[in-house]
Amino acid sequence: MKRVVIVGSGDGGTFTANLLASKLRKEIKGGLVSVQLVGEHLLHPFQPGNLDIAFKGAVPDKYVRAETDLIRKGVEFIKDPAVKIDFSARSVATKSGRTLPYDYLVIATGAVADPSKIQGLAEGALNFHTGGADSRRVWEALQSFEGGTIVVAIAGTPHKCPPSPNEAAFMLDEFFQKRGTRGKVKIRFLTPYPRPYPAEKVSHVVEPMFQKKGIDVVTFFNVDSVDPAKHKIYSLEGEAFDYDLLIAVPPHHGADVIVNSGIGDQDGYVPTDKGTMRVVGQEGAYCIGDATTIPVSKSGVVAHLQSVVVAHNIIAEMNRAKGLLEYNGRINCPMEVGNHKGIFVSATYTSPPVDQSPSTVKYYMKRSFAMIYWRALGGGLERVFDVFFGQTRFPATEKEEPEKTAVAPVASQGGKREA
Amino acid sequence: MSTTEQRKVIDSRGSFCPGPITDLFKAYRSAQLGDVIELLATDPAAKADVTAWTQKSGNELVGIVDEQGYARITVRVTKKR
Ligand SMILES: Cc1cc2nc3c(=O)[nH]c(=O)nc-3n(C[C@H](O)[C@H](O)[C@H](O)COP(=O)(O)OP(=O)(O)OC[C@H]3O[C@@H](n4cnc5c(N)ncnc54)[C@H](O)[C@@H]3O)c2cc1C
Repeated sequence: MKRVVIVGSGDGGTFTANLLASKLRKEIKGGLVSVQLVGEHLLHPFQPGNLDIAFKGAVPDKYVRAETDLIRKGVEFIKDPAVKIDFSARSVATKSGRTLPYDYLVIATGAVADPSKIQGLAEGALNFHTGGADSRRVWEALQSFEGGTIVVAIAGTPHKCPPSPNEAAFMLDEFFQKRGTRGKVKIRFLTPYPRPYPAEKVSHVVEPMFQKKGIDVVTFFNVDSVDPAKHKIYSLEGEAFDYDLLIAVPPHHGADVIVNSGIGDQDGYVPTDKGTMRVVGQEGAYCIGDATTIPVSKSGVVAHLQSVVVAHNIIAEMNRAKGLLEYNGRINCPMEVGNHKGIFVSATYTSPPVDQSPSTVKYYMKRSFAMIYWRALGGGLERVFDVFFGQTRFPATEKEEPEKTAVAPVASQGGKREA
Repeated sequence: MSTTEQRKVIDSRGSFCPGPITDLFKAYRSAQLGDVIELLATDPAAKADVTAWTQKSGNELVGIVDEQGYARITVRVTKKR
């Protein structure tokens, strides 16, 4: 019997488990393969919904499903957090004391948004990265906000969903426009990056929109601390701004189990091969999604596309077959820019984002993701995604050629980039 | 300048925007006044981005040297809360 253990039942972990269960249905039924999915929670959130909860007043329950309703037959869901991953013993220990031996391991433990890493941030700021309940607090604060300065700050990078702070600023503008009090509200956007959006081509689209909407942008602002009593936010560089309401993207790090198992880098992310998704130097172990060190966007789309590669590679390894696949770094992050318009930040390792205009079609495509997500987790939409995303993987021996639109040089190891 | 000043080399070669600048900021966050950070970058945007950051923040741009296929950008931390 070949045992696959997947740690983390979020986006990537659930999808990988379902893909394996679907592709190995007969083997699982015949007792030749087992797929165990180890999770912390019974409830599975659709995290992009946090923006709607925070800025459009959606109720958190709308974006949550029971994990047991999302997994396919053949997946054993174990709600018992992993406390130790042991590569040399090839096993995962759980909180209740179980030891789960594995032949193949998939680490999908995500990233943790952690306001406690910046002095005063937990007390002084609200955020929409630590879950539905905290996002709801943003919405509640907006209800009683009559006027003053709202600061949206990026307090650490990398963070989940690179466009989300920009979206927050745009959605705030829209919220107060609709309410008719925009004139009484100053919106200030603090970013550590040199421009409003890190990727230059995307910034070309975003910057004029910030100007047009009267959103003040402060670049090179690396958050040092927050003084909740004085309502002030300070940068390492020595700047300070007053706020009446602070909404900040907290610094992120890898999951505790990665840190406690001693298998992560200094931020708790797992060193991972950016093509095959194998954990560097470890036989039979893979890592996907937000948990990896790979500097592409921490996004669900990335976790999804990497899951396809990992499921394929595990089955190839089981069959001792050649033909491993490599992920090509494809990202596709939708950004809502207000007033029913959206853009997509799309790129691969070798092709940075290109110029584009905001469109209503892209806005509605983004809005439909919430419905698509639950179906996509089951694996039923792969043909549609293959058409939509284009090439996202290639055979391990064959190197991808840069697309004609590439403007940045191609590094010898393939470019590292976070867009 | 303190006598315990550190010199740190950050290798961001092969990394595209915002990789190099975020690698620099990570080092800046843990640096002391007087420390020197050397950033190695292949991304052509890194030179302009780091220059703009030093100009805005008041940190010192010690120099930019074009090595074979990459730039060595040296910064001294002279401004930090
Ligand atoms: C506000 C916001 C907006 C976003 N918008 C978008 C968007 O528009 N498009 C997009 O593609 N992505 C978006 N994302 C990002 C997306 O939600 C994540 O990148 C995606 O969920 C990553 O998948 P993952 O499987 O790596 O991690 P997750 O889905 O976060 O799952 C990690 C899982 O591991 C579990 N875990 C952790 N430790 C343990 C342990 N010890 N034992 C067992 N289980 C453990 C966690 O409980 C969790 O269930 C957004 C995120 C936020 C916060």
